[in-house]
Amino acid sequence: MRDPSDYGSWSPPPEGRGPSGPRASFGLRLGAALIDGIILNVVGFVVQSLLGQYLGYVLTLAVNFGYFGYFEGGPAGQTIGKLALGIRTVRQDTGGPLGWGTALLRNLCRIISALPCLLGYFWMLWDPEKMTWHDKLSQTVVVPVAAMPPPPNSFGQPPAS
Amino acid sequence: MLEVPDVGDLRTAGGLMLAAALVLPALPGHPSLLCPLRTVTGVPCPLCGMTTSVEATMHLRFGDAVAATPAGIVAVLVALVLLIWRPKAIRVPLGLVFAVLALMWSFQLHRFGYL
Repeated sequence: MRDPSDYGSWSPPPEGRGPSGPRASFGLRLGAALIDGIILNVVGFVVQSLLGQYLGYVLTLAVNFGYFGYFEGGPAGQTIGKLALGIRTVRQDTGGPLGWGTALLRNLCRIISALPCLLGYFWMLWDPEKMTWHDKLSQTVVVPVAAMPPPPNSFGQPPAS
Repeated sequence: MLEVPDVGDLRTAGGLMLAAALVLPALPGHPSLLCPLRTVTGVPCPLCGMTTSVEATMHLRFGDAVAATPAGIVAVLVALVLLIWRPKAIRVPLGLVFAVLALMWSFQLHRFGYL
């Protein structure tokens, strides 16, 4: 963790110091994204074959953002994929839950991260704070549950705001 | 100076890159990974040819790899070093990063007839 005396004026962290707090690994984040992707693709396929292409697409989009807004915005900060792999999303400044607004913003920004050949995702490999572009734009970080556990029985609880 | 915050993460990514390059030709619809940027603007970015080059390197077609971009061979070597020697820390001067990207870009601009 960053030394509290550092908060007064910003200065770049000295070499070799690493991020200012716990961070989930690239592999776990990728695994969680794959699990969520499979779930949402299956749901999307069913929805689109039931409702046809146009209406089905609109509803699939709503389901996607609803899924991330609800689960990632909730007090656990966990989608099903993140729950399975023991990681969660929290606010960078407070470590608290995202709420609907920040969770939706974060997942809108995933589009920006994905546009230049997923460069925004790979950014965490060399970013000093191990953050993707959508992490930075929404001021959130993904942390291991072991380091920052969610409140008990909070998975699936609705976002507070 | 660019410091990799977690060498383990980079190793994971490197391993996935090598594995993907091995299985890519077996996937249906290959090769159909068209770059959206180059399709729309016609201009290649510095990383152009990397998929082709890394895949060709992993299948020991070094001529094809160099024709697409020599950087693909370097990427495979870096990934192998990460996996075999498992360095504890990686620091790269930012100037070197930009110099390599500039070299890679001029190679691509030449390959597509802009230079």
